[in-house]
Amino acid sequence: MQRNGVHIEDTFAEAFPMLGTRLIVTADTPVWVQAAVLSMTGFATSVIACGCEAAVERLLPPEETPDARPGAAVLLFAMSKAELAKQVARRVGQCVMTSPGSACYAGLSEGPTIPLGNALRYFGDGWQISKRIGGRRYWRIPVMDGEFLCEATTALVDGVGGGNFILLAADRHAGLVAAQAAVMAIREVPGAILPFPGGVVRSGSKIGAKYKGQIASTNTAFCPTLRTAPVASLVPDGVESILELVIDGVSAEAVAAAMRAGIGAVVALGAAAGVVSVTAGNYGGKLGRYQFRLHEVMA
Amino acid sequence: MTGLVLTPIEPDGPPIDLAGVLPEQLVDGGRDALAGLGLLRGRERLRLGDLFTIQDGGPSGALILRPGGAVLDRVGAGMTAGEILVEGDCGAYAGSGMRGGTLMVEGDCGAFAGAEMAGGRLRIGGDAGDFLGAPLAGSPRGMTGGSIIVGGNAGDRVGERMRRGLIAVHGRVGDLCGARMIAGSVVVGGGCGAGLGLAMRRGTILLHQLPEAFPAGFDDGGMNEWLFLELMRRDLMQAGAWPVGFPATGTRARRLIGDRSASGIGEVLILQ
Repeated sequence: MQRNGVHIEDTFAEAFPMLGTRLIVTADTPVWVQAAVLSMTGFATSVIACGCEAAVERLLPPEETPDARPGAAVLLFAMSKAELAKQVARRVGQCVMTSPGSACYAGLSEGPTIPLGNALRYFGDGWQISKRIGGRRYWRIPVMDGEFLCEATTALVDGVGGGNFILLAADRHAGLVAAQAAVMAIREVPGAILPFPGGVVRSGSKIGAKYKGQIASTNTAFCPTLRTAPVASLVPDGVESILELVIDGVSAEAVAAAMRAGIGAVVALGAAAGVVSVTAGNYGGKLGRYQFRLHEVMA
Repeated sequence: MTGLVLTPIEPDGPPIDLAGVLPEQLVDGGRDALAGLGLLRGRERLRLGDLFTIQDGGPSGALILRPGGAVLDRVGAGMTAGEILVEGDCGAYAGSGMRGGTLMVEGDCGAFAGAEMAGGRLRIGGDAGDFLGAPLAGSPRGMTGGSIIVGGNAGDRVGERMRRGLIAVHGRVGDLCGARMIAGSVVVGGGCGAGLGLAMRRGTILLHQLPEAFPAGFDDGGMNEWLFLELMRRDLMQAGAWPVGFPATGTRARRLIGDRSASGIGEVLILQ
């Protein structure tokens, strides 16, 4: 498939089921919202080593938050309920509760739940107060600037992790420009996040390595500097930079919509901007339950 | 299918005990089953059909009571679902032991309204008597869930021994409001009598003006911002339960903590 001079390869992105949740973090000002959520979603790029994948889904104006203050919706994904519960408790406890003026609410209310405030309440050392408002339960935990208000539990969603596409560009500058355009487009899609730094991965990985104990290693097939090495390179001539966008979503539809938006933005820049082609990462279809075929996504 | 309207045949007679007359019966047996229910009028046991005229009317599945001057006790007591609308006043024990559904009383209620309520919604347009949401005599627990909204004033011992739920009184309350409260929320739009929060262990009493007598056993925790009040305000405004005199914005309140005599850490919040 050819769009605006960009070749879209006939392949698919292979993705996996993950459990996810949405949290709403609020604070007195947008600056403090950012402080809380940046800290909370830090070091949450990949479940391989971070325990969970997380990012800001979107910023929320006061009209859309439970307490009429600026806020942000954050999505977190992990491979199991226990791991997600652990990550949520740690990240909210260490990054949100510690942030001045913050509060944290569940962004999903249907389905099975994991503890949120329920996991943090004992920090109140007996002075915590439970309050049921509008059918939802909250914990009020006394802290040094007043109270940390936190919903008792948050609901889970059967999400999808590892949706992706890979863009091949003439040079690093062209690759960055195209990737940033894709990131901006994907951030408009509800229910999807890009957990990597700035939404982009430059060190895509393959499973395994020549070294014992190394479960993942650099994606040699897509390393332009290894084009001529004996690594079954997939880097075409004229490509100096390759970047990957990894997408997690609350549903397969959300991931597909995000891929469509991102690839669409890349394609809109076109060959004239140095974009050569778009492909996707997969494991031959043997590992992931979900396959997002690029041609179907862009149909 | 419509609801049913019950009108007492002899409104000047002795009090009628309506325990067991619930919207659930409309679903289970309909009009005939309802008419055959045995009720106490004073010390007489009579069929409902002998005491009330029964007509179609109102929304489907709802029971509408038009007491006239009759004293109707235990209206909606123990109800679990559906809707009862009282176009007038209720006697004692209205909605006591409720676990679900909605009981709306346009007029006043007697004592023990919503006593030991565990769920559902009780809305009283007029005044409520003593023991609103309190325990029944001899019982250790008051209200354990649901919500009670009173448009007028309420008597003594509002929310006594309350464990969960919400009581919102637009007007003033009598003595011993929130006494021996264990948890839950009581909102009072007007003034309070003596003994506010006496022996209170936990829970919240929300006011807009300092009680006439500073509650004994409470410490003044000073002013602060209370974010949960924003959530509470939104919820109560939606339900029409945010007292008219309360501020429409802001979460600043003075907090009194007690009752220390009962090792309590309950709170009386006075909105600014």
